[in-house]
Amino acid sequence: MAIGKPVVRVEDERFLRGEGRFTADYTLPFMLEAHILRSPHAHARIGLVGLDEALALKGVHAIFTNVDLPEGLPPIQCRIPTHGDLSPYLQHPLARDTVRYVGEPIAVIVADTRAIAEDAAELIEIEFDPLPAITSPQQATADGAAPIHAPGNLAGRWGFDLGDVAGALKAAAFTASDSFSIQRHSAMPMETRGLLASYDAGRNLLDIYGPTKVVHTNRNMLAAMLGMGEAEIRMIEPDVGGSFGARGEFYPEDYLIPFASIRLKRPVRWIEDRVEHFAAINHSRDCTFDVNVCADKDGIITAFDVKLVTDMGSYIRTHGDVVPSHAAASFPGPYRVRNYRVDAMTVMTNKTPTGTYRAPGMFEANFARERILDRLADKMGIDRAELRSRNLIRPEQMPWHVGTESVKRPTIFDSGDFPLIMDRALQAYGWSAPFEREADGWKRGRGICVLVEPSGLGPFEGVRIEVDQHGKVQIFSGSSNQGQGHETVLAQIASETLTVPMDRIRVRHGDTGIITFGGGTYASRTAIMGGNAVHSASVGVREKALKAVAGKFGIAVEELDLREGAIWHGRKNEPLVTLGGIARMLMPGNQEILTSPSAGNIPDNDGLVVTSYVRGVPSGAAVFAVHMADVLVDPETGETKVERYFVACDVGRQLNPLIVEGQIVGGVVQGLGGAFLEELAYNEDGQLTTGTFADYLMPNVYDAPPITALVFEESPAPTNVLGVKGVGEVGPSGVGATIGNAIANALGAVSGLNKLPLTPERVLHSIGFGGQV
Amino acid sequence: MKKHLVELTVNGRPASMQVEPRQSLADALRGELGLTGTHLGCEHGVCGACTLIVDGDPVRGCLMLAVQAQGAEVVTVEGVSPKVGLGEIQSALREFHGLQCGFCTPGMVVVLHHLFSGNPQPTEAEIQEAISGQLCRCTGYQGIMNAAKAVAARHQSNNA
Repeated sequence: MAIGKPVVRVEDERFLRGEGRFTADYTLPFMLEAHILRSPHAHARIGLVGLDEALALKGVHAIFTNVDLPEGLPPIQCRIPTHGDLSPYLQHPLARDTVRYVGEPIAVIVADTRAIAEDAAELIEIEFDPLPAITSPQQATADGAAPIHAPGNLAGRWGFDLGDVAGALKAAAFTASDSFSIQRHSAMPMETRGLLASYDAGRNLLDIYGPTKVVHTNRNMLAAMLGMGEAEIRMIEPDVGGSFGARGEFYPEDYLIPFASIRLKRPVRWIEDRVEHFAAINHSRDCTFDVNVCADKDGIITAFDVKLVTDMGSYIRTHGDVVPSHAAASFPGPYRVRNYRVDAMTVMTNKTPTGTYRAPGMFEANFARERILDRLADKMGIDRAELRSRNLIRPEQMPWHVGTESVKRPTIFDSGDFPLIMDRALQAYGWSAPFEREADGWKRGRGICVLVEPSGLGPFEGVRIEVDQHGKVQIFSGSSNQGQGHETVLAQIASETLTVPMDRIRVRHGDTGIITFGGGTYASRTAIMGGNAVHSASVGVREKALKAVAGKFGIAVEELDLREGAIWHGRKNEPLVTLGGIARMLMPGNQEILTSPSAGNIPDNDGLVVTSYVRGVPSGAAVFAVHMADVLVDPETGETKVERYFVACDVGRQLNPLIVEGQIVGGVVQGLGGAFLEELAYNEDGQLTTGTFADYLMPNVYDAPPITALVFEESPAPTNVLGVKGVGEVGPSGVGATIGNAIANALGAVSGLNKLPLTPERVLHSIGFGGQV
Repeated sequence: MKKHLVELTVNGRPASMQVEPRQSLADALRGELGLTGTHLGCEHGVCGACTLIVDGDPVRGCLMLAVQAQGAEVVTVEGVSPKVGLGEIQSALREFHGLQCGFCTPGMVVVLHHLFSGNPQPTEAEIQEAISGQLCRCTGYQGIMNAAKAVAARHQSNNA
């Protein structure tokens, strides 16, 4: 009925009319506004702090610095398992004696308006004693480098050593090796972050508007930091203008703004500005791979040997080292390679802390692996797709255990017929068809990247479904929504099972006040985890309804049928009772069903309501994808133009093809930003030199080529009832590699094009122009 | 800071606002008039989310001061929306999945409305140019372009 249809989104109308409600659209009576004073230095000791003049400014209510925070307040904890102990590197909500990156919060100013708070910030005097800034892992790990944190700048060193890499390298017929680096860039959602905290002192209740992504986790973290009961805090997700992994983690402000509201007993709102966002939100990627790959004479890849160095920035945040962890765990990709070694180092620098960004670790690993495979294919003299095809994991080898793990979960590909999808993709694109190598002096090249993207991670998800007396269905979801379309997709799933039309179903989400537990939205998980929770709860509602009707009318359940939102008996022309009627029957206190007051708990009389929590599969569901593109390159200027872009993937089962395509196409363009444009660049003083949208370029309409998504439903995920696989990250995941390979192919470049973004300078450098880039 | 009275026309109705000289037009429309459909994505004139129509031209609401709008005719996303439901461009954006998070959407709606008001059958290049100053992080622009091209094509076939 509803599942699998390209249903237009139910959330669209309010956004199109300008009636979405984002955090900055919320106000409360007597609300104050906050501004965060941030470090202008990458590394400095903090001396005397002079607040008098700022506090004297009319309209300023309070200024909080580290000395105002509770004694013994722990730093912000990491919410995922890490490789080794990273606790010495965690960030406190406000800098204590030292600042370690430009943008580190030092003080919170609360005033009548944001403008006054910013005026006051100008009046705060701070004595800084600047220290040398460390801006690269090389600097950080050099002999004699000053430690940014007491235990030293090498936060972690770990890895995997599977099979016999040394033996494979020794026996190899072909080898290729090179270094690949992926620049620091990040999610850049169009809406900046924001919070509105409102503390009710008399009741000791705290409401917070603005959190998203993992609201239950964030609430529990905040409760622990504030010493409040978890249910005394309510986090409410408004409309959210994109996350892509970065937005919605627990940041310093997620403590500071509620803290300010509690201290002042007034609602306090903080709306981040864009320049602040650049310095404050998690950055991502920023890593280097040294890769050795070898193959036997038949073109079978025999080993990957990898060294991975990741610039973590100045503190470890809630994500710990999950980004390099994913990269290391999944580096071998869709290939049946049993000899794999990775030596991973996580290094601290005086830059903004890092976390996940859409396809975390995978965009990076795919770039390094797929670029080196092209080199290997060239050395062998075989077609680049052919090399990949020969090495794909075969369907009979599923589930495939890579032998690695990430965040204490084994890396397993649950299902898939990779060779089948690969063949279809190559055919659909016309990979082997000859093409004009030149057009108006520009060179044309064709690139490919083959990958597996994990999805549906995390321990559990839950929903509660309530049917009201009028038959309207409310779905209270523990996951959240930052624009993906979950209000539509989750409603589709319920509509299918409950036989209720979409316009009678509402999805509410991201609110700790509406459901006790929630996992959240990350790792392309909501369609899988939230979707299956909705399915499970819908089945529960159906069963409960059938049972209630069977009991009331004395008819066997088997003779009853749920359709058109009502229960029918056999072939009778009229339904027995609608879902709304059943909801009325099942209301607590209904004399018809209620037996005796002594019964105490009346589980069958708690409404037509079902809560369902579904357990996650540790390794999630693996999506196989093939990216291909044709790119034109001007060998005179290094300018590039993507002519067409293509993604084929097997998502198991599509819930809504419109949304699936939208995720892929939008994801590809984000990936193109990472491939060509976006870079969070620092100078030697640790100053971010690309801290505005005028310097940090993101794709506009002219940067978006025609993109085709070819979506298959060949291998439903065996680990969830709906059979779905997540589609949020297959779009960006292969873009860096595909573009790099296409440009190299266009230019016949045998070296270079190893560093993203692929600027004109770097393109020219790969064919021998210019110096170091 | 001393506030100034600004009298203007917003979405066809007279309006007045008390604003500080430094306040942007977008902030004033949002804060003084409650027109929160105008979004601020960068506050430095690049992202285009705050785009308004001022005296017939698209303008960045974050770069224009409210005091500069004295006597101006301002149209926001609320002003280009029908009383209920969606207009033609808005419907097409929904049909072609031309929005995801919805944050840049009001700016897109406003510039496309402006484009089609003056040019009911724009070419693909004209549509691209019209939205080239609007950043969208979610859709990759394909759905937006398809929606606008579909509207242009419908106009063409209606005229044929």
